[in-house]
Amino acid sequence: MNQAAFVRTRLQARFGPAAALIGLVGVLLLVVGCFLPWAGFAGFPGKMLNTAPGGSRLYVLLLALFGVLFRLDWPGRARALRGASTFALVITMLTVLFIAYAGGGLVNLGTGAYVALAGVVLYYLGAQSLPEDDVVAPVRELPDGRWRVLIETLLVVGVAVGALIIFVIGLGLPTASVADGPDHRLGGAISLNDLTNESQFLCFLLFVCGAMLALSRLGLVASVGAMTKKHSRVLVAAALMSAVVFPFTQGGNGYSLRIAASIGVFAAAAVGLNIVVGLAGLLDLGYIAFFGVGAYFAAIFSGSVTSVIDMHLPFGLVILLGAAISGVFGLLLGAPTLRLRGDYLAIVTLGFGEIFRITVNNLDGSAGPSLTNGPNGISNIPDLTLPGGFNFGENHLLFGVDLPFQANYYWLEIILIAVVMTAFLRLAESRIGRAWVAIREDEVAAAATGINTTRLKLLAFVLGATLAGAAGTVNAHVVKVAAPDSFTFMESALLLAAVILGGMGTVPGALLGATVLYLLPEKLRFLQDLRLLVFGIVLVLIMRLRPEGLVPSKRRAREFHEPGGGADALSAPPGHRGTA
Amino acid sequence: MDLFLQQLVNGTVLGATYGLVALGYTMVYGIVQLINFAHGEIFMLGGFGALTTFLALPTGTPTAVLLPMMLLGGVIVSVTVAVLMERFAYRPLRGAPRLAPLITALGVSIALQELVRNFYPEAKSARNFPQLVDPNRQFSLGGDVTINAPSLLTVVVAVVGMVTLSTYVRRSRTGRAMQATAQDPDTARLMGINTDRLIVTAFVLGAALAAVAGVAQGLRFGQVDFRMGFLTGIKAFTAAVLGGIGNISGAVLGGFTLGLVEVMATQYAPEPFAGGAWKDAWAFVVLIIVLVFRPTGLLGERVAARA
Amino acid sequence: MHPPRLVRVAAPLLIGALVLSACGSSKEKGADGGESKTLTIGVIAPLTGDLSAIGLGIKNGVDLAIKQANEKKTVAGYTLKLNAQDDTAKADVGATVAAKLVADSSVVGVVGPLNSSVAKSVAPVLSQANLVEISPANSNVDLTGRGALSTGGTQARPYKSYFRVVATDDIQGPFAAQFAASLGKKKIAIVHDKKAYGQGLAEAFAKEAAKGGATVLKTETINPGDKDFSATITKLKAQSPDFLFYGGEYPEASLFTKQMKAAGLKIPLMGGDGVQADDFLKIGGAAAEGDYATALGAPTESLDSAKTFLTDYAGQKYAEPVGPYGGYAFDAANAIIQAIAKAVKDGKSGQALRDEVTKEVGSISFDGVTGPISFDAFGDTNSKVLTVYTVKGGKFVAAKTDTFK
Repeated sequence: MNQAAFVRTRLQARFGPAAALIGLVGVLLLVVGCFLPWAGFAGFPGKMLNTAPGGSRLYVLLLALFGVLFRLDWPGRARALRGASTFALVITMLTVLFIAYAGGGLVNLGTGAYVALAGVVLYYLGAQSLPEDDVVAPVRELPDGRWRVLIETLLVVGVAVGALIIFVIGLGLPTASVADGPDHRLGGAISLNDLTNESQFLCFLLFVCGAMLALSRLGLVASVGAMTKKHSRVLVAAALMSAVVFPFTQGGNGYSLRIAASIGVFAAAAVGLNIVVGLAGLLDLGYIAFFGVGAYFAAIFSGSVTSVIDMHLPFGLVILLGAAISGVFGLLLGAPTLRLRGDYLAIVTLGFGEIFRITVNNLDGSAGPSLTNGPNGISNIPDLTLPGGFNFGENHLLFGVDLPFQANYYWLEIILIAVVMTAFLRLAESRIGRAWVAIREDEVAAAATGINTTRLKLLAFVLGATLAGAAGTVNAHVVKVAAPDSFTFMESALLLAAVILGGMGTVPGALLGATVLYLLPEKLRFLQDLRLLVFGIVLVLIMRLRPEGLVPSKRRAREFHEPGGGADALSAPPGHRGTA
Repeated sequence: MDLFLQQLVNGTVLGATYGLVALGYTMVYGIVQLINFAHGEIFMLGGFGALTTFLALPTGTPTAVLLPMMLLGGVIVSVTVAVLMERFAYRPLRGAPRLAPLITALGVSIALQELVRNFYPEAKSARNFPQLVDPNRQFSLGGDVTINAPSLLTVVVAVVGMVTLSTYVRRSRTGRAMQATAQDPDTARLMGINTDRLIVTAFVLGAALAAVAGVAQGLRFGQVDFRMGFLTGIKAFTAAVLGGIGNISGAVLGGFTLGLVEVMATQYAPEPFAGGAWKDAWAFVVLIIVLVFRPTGLLGERVAARA
Repeated sequence: MHPPRLVRVAAPLLIGALVLSACGSSKEKGADGGESKTLTIGVIAPLTGDLSAIGLGIKNGVDLAIKQANEKKTVAGYTLKLNAQDDTAKADVGATVAAKLVADSSVVGVVGPLNSSVAKSVAPVLSQANLVEISPANSNVDLTGRGALSTGGTQARPYKSYFRVVATDDIQGPFAAQFAASLGKKKIAIVHDKKAYGQGLAEAFAKEAAKGGATVLKTETINPGDKDFSATITKLKAQSPDFLFYGGEYPEASLFTKQMKAAGLKIPLMGGDGVQADDFLKIGGAAAEGDYATALGAPTESLDSAKTFLTDYAGQKYAEPVGPYGGYAFDAANAIIQAIAKAVKDGKSGQALRDEVTKEVGSISFDGVTGPISFDAFGDTNSKVLTVYTVKGGKFVAAKTDTFK
């Protein structure tokens, strides 16, 4: 960090007075570059040939718009500009590389690419050379007036709709490229078609990160955040509506709905785990096992021909019983082990997760009692049906849109998430939730204030297990098979990563973390064999850049960013603060 | 009786590898309270480092030269990667929430495995490892009980490594500084101990022992592969906790205990819960039972109490 | 959080990854410049992780078939393309990538997956879209409804577009057992890896072996990924068997045979087609000598097509060996390609083309590199010819070729 600050000081000393000028020239060049063709050959996605900007060029152009800040003296502008220009630089460089690669050499770059490259470098240098901001951007409020509430409400609704739009664009419309006529002019491991959807995703993700970073440094994110807090009901309603409407935006594409449904299950489980880890501070490395208990319960009583028990329970009952049994397992494991401290509990839960996997793998009548069909798992899980004759496994025509069957499961997920989220929020703001946080922060002090720590920790553990069980029952029907290899240690670790990556103790954090962690490997598919390698590196990078998570809870963010903040049970020991 | 003794030998050999790798976990944990999930990968890289050294040396090099050189090569690779990992992945997170490095460790683990799988020549499936010590050479330990040469070597190396390490930690200046830091990092720093350097030392020592274990593993089985570290890593972590994390003798004891439990469960667990498919479950059941009755492991932990 | 840091760390890594991926792939451009239309054959297999070596062998087999078809213009007026998806050997990921292939309307056939457990989540998705799927490796009896046969029921096909070119467990296992009986083995030990393939095979073997009058010891299990099998071997050695059947794949089998013989239990190990791989010989070394493995079809040396396949495969300079299922994948892809060639004649496209290809695959018949390829009414291969190979001089040599029952 010191090195970077040093470089910046040198830049400021050399270009300081001219910084704004250099930056503006860069922005101008960049804008011009964006309206010129970047590719010298036809076929590259994002309309790189014609003059109207699209794809990466649009993202760069939007990031260039922050350039007006060179002329404005807003608080936080230097940091905002540094953020925007950095991301513009990375996106431009990536896109140029993609084009060069797809075309087979740098000769294939159009004039626009060179102009934009020159522009973005100047933009970056200009932003780096700006003098440091004097004040941190404040949280702004709208002026009082008759329109204030309306505008605030609209802004809050806008947040939800914006999130939907970002998600829809991010997910991409894989069918669109095929409908336009197949575009597979390149052979080899990475096809042009894959680049269309998936390299663009990378640029899009970078754009969203850059824009959000710049906006938050201007204090706008915090300002809108304050409004959403004020009108939280509006936000919840708008978010729910956006989520419900989502399948209609997908043009009958089952793949994206299937991904959305999988993200839903993953997110619901992550929110549940967030109670255990984020609120109560209990490190659980075997959470997937509780999810598995639910999944197996649902599979066994689904009426599948591969289940040893030929009994078909109604799904509503299955959810309740699956969740309850999962909770009982949580109780059985938690009661004797919850007095263990931090990492001892982690290894016990890891052990429990493995015991669960090994057990369901063995209960097949040859290595143990017959119950789970062993390594084959319970397959052929039938589609859900509602009493009215509604079959989840069939495509349905709704409001004139032909929806693939995956949409049914997606909506089921939305209900599940809504329930889990409500449970989480109610708990977090209750007496119990505050007690959990107290235990997380300092168990000894919490006990001293009269909190029954053992009982409350057990409650968190059991509730987390119950929610995981409920999510598991739904997942069994989405995936249509419950098999032991879906419940490995790696799955637990990824769930935990979703919670930590998103930000511990918050619902948006868990949702965002789950979405990123599920979508990232999906969207990195164009890298083929290198997919997991890049995924691992990205995990390291995110933790390095935002160790407190993408959406940290207020308390946690303060703790981490203010020197001298109090230590908590999950923080490094006091002696190791600030040694980096 | 011979059967029992033979299984005892098998368990001891298995436990020796766990113990060697567990030492790395325990030392790093003792000082920074970090569960370094990527430590298993350091073990794997030790094997590959030795293999690379072997391939680089001219054929016909006598074993007496080859073996130390391979060991050195493995140690160099493991230590280098461990130091880089500490410097670039963990150190920047020193002041971060305690769970952040856990995810970093996971990322590093995935990345290192995939790096070897993708870029080490022909490493997508297992690579042959030179069998310098003939596994068909059996030493009789009385009756029908035997141990083969590379296994014997593994146990000897493990015991030597553990004794050397614990002597080093108990007697040397650096070792005592490590103990001091583990007990109370703040006071240790006030006494003029350079904690940064100590942390690196812990990573280096752990990596060196893991590399030795990796080479021993290669010699025993005649192959190394990119995934060999993951399972061993988890088992070694379990062993470290079983013995009492942060406790060097504990890691060794935990390793041997775990090895013996696995082997004995394969042979003697009540049907139908016997055999390889259940042995890991038994290992974890024993772990949970031990922790329920001794919440800080068999020998107790040696780390600073955290607020 | 400071941008320069971010650039220094993130940019080189991203770009580095990109450049590296660029190095590893071929960059030839299609010569037809968009003139001919494109159809895609999907592959679902584990391309990363533990099983990637086998999965990549499958992908390469399909890739080779597609390249040859494009050269020979087997499907007139169309260029074929490969779309390989990584299922990471997990059921839920398999269902996701299956939906992805279904969503791409240019995909008219799928080869894969490797694991039977993955197949059980892939097949429902592909069947719903009536997109044909030919597995080069699944041997689980339930996938084509054969499981009901052993319990006296009637076979019903669960997935209408699911086919496979390999023998099911209930054919390969008994065939191996009959061979063991013909060797006069009386006390047989059985070990499997507790995975669907290994266990299915081992159980079918055990049943037939017991029927043949041999004493079958209590089945032992090991874990995939384990290296140290000394405990299991010691346990078996105390019961002094004269033959060992291993249900599982070559990574563990090669270590097992090696450790078993080093421990003084010098009996032959026999496995299924998951063991019949060059890597078994490579890792097993001298210890593998005298071991057995079964595989579907006549021995490769006796088929010219098989020899040509291996030469062509070597000619492509793939980074991965062909593996146990590369040849089956090649045949599976060719079955799809031939079906496409017939199906496109009427100018069909979209769902109609998928329906037609699925129908054509059902009635396909040709001589593949692993033997004659044709399917019965349930999607299973009609070929019942199997070969037992034995390891002699570091090579698999055919010991017996026969039609099952």
